[in-house]
Amino acid sequence: MDFFSPVIAGFGVVFQPENLIYCLLGVTLGMLVGVLPGLGPAATIAVLLPITYTIEPTAAIIMLAGIFYGAQYGGTITSVLLRLPGEASSVVTAIDGHEMAKQGRAGSALGIAAIGSFIGGTVSILALTFVAPLVAGAALDFGPAEYTALALLGIMMVATLGTGAPVKSILMATLGLLLATIGQDPLAGTSRLTFGSDQLLDGIDFVIVAMGLFGVGEILYNLESLRRKTPPPTPVGSVYPSRAEIKESKGAISRGSLLGFLLGILPGGGATMSSMVAYAVERKVTKQPAKFGKGAIQGVAGPETANNAAATSSFIPLLTLGIPANATMAVMFGALLLQGITPGPLLVQEKPDLFWGVINSMYVGNLLLLVMSLPLIGLFVRILKIRPAILAPLTILITMIGVYTVRGNVFDMYLMIGLGVLGYLMKKVGFEPGPLVLAFVLGSILESSFRRSMRIFDGQLTGFLTQPIAAVLLGALLLILVGPPVIRALRSRAT
Amino acid sequence: MMVGTTGRIRRRVGGVLLAAVALTASACSVQGGSAGDGAAFPSKAVEFTVPTEPGGSTDLVTRALAKSIEEPLGAQAVVVNKPGANGKIAGKDVFNSKPDGYRIAVMPQSLFAIGPLMVEDPDAIKLEDMTFIKGLAVEDYVLVVPASSKYKTLKDLVAAGDVKYGTTGAGTGSQLSQALLFGSAKMDSTPVPFDGGGPTLTAVMGSKVDVASVQIAEAAKQVEAGKLRALVVFSGKRLEAFPDVPTATEAGYGVVVDQRRFVAGPAGMPNDVRDKLAASIDKAVASSEYGDLLKNNYIGRWDVSGDEVAAQLTKSQETFKALIAKLGIDLTGQR
Repeated sequence: MDFFSPVIAGFGVVFQPENLIYCLLGVTLGMLVGVLPGLGPAATIAVLLPITYTIEPTAAIIMLAGIFYGAQYGGTITSVLLRLPGEASSVVTAIDGHEMAKQGRAGSALGIAAIGSFIGGTVSILALTFVAPLVAGAALDFGPAEYTALALLGIMMVATLGTGAPVKSILMATLGLLLATIGQDPLAGTSRLTFGSDQLLDGIDFVIVAMGLFGVGEILYNLESLRRKTPPPTPVGSVYPSRAEIKESKGAISRGSLLGFLLGILPGGGATMSSMVAYAVERKVTKQPAKFGKGAIQGVAGPETANNAAATSSFIPLLTLGIPANATMAVMFGALLLQGITPGPLLVQEKPDLFWGVINSMYVGNLLLLVMSLPLIGLFVRILKIRPAILAPLTILITMIGVYTVRGNVFDMYLMIGLGVLGYLMKKVGFEPGPLVLAFVLGSILESSFRRSMRIFDGQLTGFLTQPIAAVLLGALLLILVGPPVIRALRSRAT
Repeated sequence: MMVGTTGRIRRRVGGVLLAAVALTASACSVQGGSAGDGAAFPSKAVEFTVPTEPGGSTDLVTRALAKSIEEPLGAQAVVVNKPGANGKIAGKDVFNSKPDGYRIAVMPQSLFAIGPLMVEDPDAIKLEDMTFIKGLAVEDYVLVVPASSKYKTLKDLVAAGDVKYGTTGAGTGSQLSQALLFGSAKMDSTPVPFDGGGPTLTAVMGSKVDVASVQIAEAAKQVEAGKLRALVVFSGKRLEAFPDVPTATEAGYGVVVDQRRFVAGPAGMPNDVRDKLAASIDKAVASSEYGDLLKNNYIGRWDVSGDEVAAQLTKSQETFKALIAKLGIDLTGQR
């Protein structure tokens, strides 16, 4: 009873009219910034920081939280329609989502993404309500050794991501790893591959790589076909997913919810990593792997569910330990500080109204987002009917503005154009950006975690085996690596 | 300790409208226009550049300052975030602009006093590139261990002789404070740099490293909740936040390391412009709103003139350099 009374009181907080209005405002803004490529929730929340100063703390955080998970809904839209990931966490959605759009199934893709997001988000809040204090400890169990193992596992899966020849995927992944080493050495602070430029000292932002290779590359490639012949107008089929499609996505949505919730808790993991892992998992469990990369609905449902579930659960380290798990949470931390509240392990006891008010507001926010996005899908898919001659320059313009908002740096705009050209060339010769982008993300995690581990273990590789979680993950990696060939060998001997 | 929010004007509906306005306004930053002469300064908005991502302590302090400075300055104050290269990107950008007082930056001491000890950078920002306007804030470091640690005091830790310490990054006060402390104690120590305060805190709370030095605000709540134990602080005197925690100096090791923030503009700023800015900052930091923010976040005041800022930067760099040479510490992170 003691446990539930503050939870229920939290609902009382949510249903105060002004809190509801701020929740609606937050999710609407979030959806908007999600749609705008490059302009992420972290930047938006930062812009709004000075305004939150004048709002009552709970209402302020409810609004900012709404922006964060609302952006996960919006990010899908440009990913699917234009192959332009609006958010880092929607990159993998672009792979199958855009294929679906090309087949006239944009409505289905967006519909299933909205439904999956709603389910993932809600499952995650429920889990957060009941097990937050228990799982918060898991965030602390993940140290450098565990991240090393996790990143290795991830890179293994990346190698299987492409639809073409494995060699090509591996080549791209290698290039991604190389790009990830640009910038200041994470441990020693010396410059690497910066060519003496301060602009590259912090490395390349993930958003720039993703938008350049996927979005700009795609636009450039389409321009080429524009000259050859007029592209066939994309037929827009049903705006909602069919019953069969929903049935196909059921498994992906349940797996996505679970994965997203768990990975979201890990600091640094968050929404982006969870969407990638969810995609890789869907590819592994499907009975028709050939469909992936060619418009598999599970390739949209899984990651989109996971990124929303993760967005919600990434509040756990902030609200229960006082540790911001990602860039957006860091800004949220700042927002709380501005309100005179320092998030820490005692927040639940000291400010139960705020804690449960914010968490419960997410049920309402997710519902609002579902109700808002479903009718809007019909409107959004019309974007596909705009003539490429108008759409392409407009998209590039919006993307450029988006990139500028990341660091307020003009250099980044050039960088994105350069990467766009690279993306175009890659597409021309049949290389896919997916493995590159994902290896880019995992590469920096792998490098710094591995080197930190080596320092902690005094340079002994066996140190990994002393950490239970890391050892289990590495064992799983070994199984995936040697399992299939061994089974195949045994089978061929049997016959 | 409960942190109150009383006495704040709450304009709820107004906030909604403002939010919409701010989103539209954010697309266009305030720049350009003609520069007035000193007497007319300021005739347009003054831009405060923050060299970090939004949400960090520099960002918070600058935003609070910008809010309180508009009235004494008689102009709008705009905060712009330009993160990158430990502040060098922001510094290079602002200090290469016209010294008319309309573009100023809040810079960290570490970029000038600690960074050069680690990496030789021929292109680094020099003290001569800046007009120092005012000192602003000082943030102290505390050495923490997880609550479950067998080390109850610094003495226990030193007796162990071997330590893996978490730092908030290469070239930070967090690294320097510990390198100097463990160097003075003649311990076998290995730095494990993380990417900022959050990850460092996670690692030490999860016992992945033995100890870590973090800024007070980052650890105060965890210490209060009994998740972390504070061994020493690296300030000159004991701190209000941890009255029972000795300083490193009291514990027998003369290590004082802190992070200071100051306001500077491009070199060659006219004296009257500088003085107008300095006087406005003085009035702004006296506001209760600004004071509350510092207090709530365990940030100290650094109320000194521009000249004293320059002197402090030179002094701390020399002190650290001498200590490092004396102790034979290699800060480049390669052990």
